[in-house]
Amino acid sequence: MDSLIFAAAERSPSAFYDEVLNGSHHAPILGAYAEAGYAHYLFLGASGPYARSYHFDGPCRLRALSAARPLLMWDEREMERDWPIEFDGIPRTTVPDGEGLMHFVVGPVHAGIIECGRFTFTSAGENVVHLDAQLGFGHRGVERQLEGLSALEAAPKVARICGGCSAARSFAFVRAVEQLAGYMPDEPIELARLIVAELERLYNHVHDVAAAASAAGYAVGFARGMALKERIMRLCALACGHRLLFDAIPPGGAVLTNRTKLASELNTLRSDLERFLANLFGNASLVSRWQRAGLLTPAVAEACGAVGPAARGSAGTIDVRAFAPYGAYASLTPSIARATSGDVFARVAVKRDEMLESLRLLKVALNALGATPLPEPGVIHPRDGIAYGVVEGPRGCEVVALRVRAGRIARLHVISSSFRNWPVVVRAMEDTIVPDFPLVNKSFNLCYACADR
Amino acid sequence: MSTYRHSLGIRHLVCGSCNGCEHEMNALNNAYYDITREGWDIVASPRHADVVTVTGPMTEAMRVAALATLQAVPQPRVVVAIGDCAAGMGPWQAPPAGSGAGVELGARVVVRGCPPTPDEIRAGLAEAAEVLEARRA
Repeated sequence: MDSLIFAAAERSPSAFYDEVLNGSHHAPILGAYAEAGYAHYLFLGASGPYARSYHFDGPCRLRALSAARPLLMWDEREMERDWPIEFDGIPRTTVPDGEGLMHFVVGPVHAGIIECGRFTFTSAGENVVHLDAQLGFGHRGVERQLEGLSALEAAPKVARICGGCSAARSFAFVRAVEQLAGYMPDEPIELARLIVAELERLYNHVHDVAAAASAAGYAVGFARGMALKERIMRLCALACGHRLLFDAIPPGGAVLTNRTKLASELNTLRSDLERFLANLFGNASLVSRWQRAGLLTPAVAEACGAVGPAARGSAGTIDVRAFAPYGAYASLTPSIARATSGDVFARVAVKRDEMLESLRLLKVALNALGATPLPEPGVIHPRDGIAYGVVEGPRGCEVVALRVRAGRIARLHVISSSFRNWPVVVRAMEDTIVPDFPLVNKSFNLCYACADR
Repeated sequence: MSTYRHSLGIRHLVCGSCNGCEHEMNALNNAYYDITREGWDIVASPRHADVVTVTGPMTEAMRVAALATLQAVPQPRVVVAIGDCAAGMGPWQAPPAGSGAGVELGARVVVRGCPPTPDEIRAGLAEAAEVLEARRA
């Protein structure tokens, strides 16, 4: 990856702009970030992530890519705030104002058990004209606090950036670390990691589907779903020693115990999960409440760079597990769930299909793994350089960008699926009525912690 | 009065938590733990609360809103720190993270864990009910 950076060093800002813009016609943009001396734009190719990078010595001026690719708006604002880069032409959103419009603010303290964040709604009557998601209330400065640590010291902290996508983030982190260390995990470790990752998808998706039922007023569906989630969290504790899978994917290894019990419990779970889903999707009034709510058109989804089930519910095709297969997914390819209607129903349906597919993958992986013992985690010494880990988490593409100098983390940047998708939620709320916000929001069910960092 | 003396209105206040503690707080309402059996309820307004559960290390951006929320809770009230971050022992201890939401907001009960299990949180809430009863007496 370093060779790309040095090749990039001599270009003019406008040549760089053209290169990134042209590149984005061929490969999806994952995001952009900066570190001392470099601005990086990340793409996802079929063989993995790669960067186009611009080198700067002192304060520099670049043409904002976000003018042409609005999905980069938040990325470039962050780069401008933290580094001596000035961007020309970052689009600024303005809150509409005028007669008949009402503004009201919700948060940063929410009424339920919800993370901190603030939403400013602008409505005309019942319709939302504009929604401003003001995030960052949970900003702990995690990237800065990881600098100077070794990979092993950082791993438990990386697992604790965000509780709901801990395993996915650890997975992305260890992939970057292992790439720099030149370490290839054995097949049993890769299979165990797939199992951990799919367990995380499973408990998150069942939570999201139950929450979408709750937001539509279907209390029975919510209660049944949350009971199923509890069962899955207990399976996580059984298999990985932690209900939320923290530290289950350490550098060089994976944690997976009680496989026989896990396999048999997952079998029972499947029939109960199918019954739960049949009950929800067979309920005409619930389904009609989900349909046409929170519409995200395929064009908007693509322009905003939506990822994960949010994108796949709006005709998106990319799932990192199949698009750029990694680890055990290289041989165990999931079939990709898709829907085209872009409403709450589409997103819930995608999650339903993904849960069933996760159960299939879990079964196959557990069979393939059999009773093979997991090797002890290898010794990992990342060499100096830059590497990217990209995996498909429950909410979409999870990116960890890592720069190592003298064996320690010099820069670690997280691009989470929630960071990518928050601007998408905002667009899905346009022309939706205010009381539908909980329903639309829960159909995405994004994290604040990994967006705020 | 004695019929209601162990009932709790619980207001949850997130101060930069990773959402792990929130997953476990949410579990208190599922069919396995169902805290409504204890006469406990998660309430939407701080003005309805007896107990404030706080999570996270506290952040610079949340500090003002967190204090305002706490001040809206009538006395007697008990602050319960949920999780290692709130206890000041989490992974994020340098600014803009604070010294623990429970530490900064004067938690009387501390539930350690990353995150604590629903049973551990339930035990912490039971302790808060005792503290509250002593303060009312």
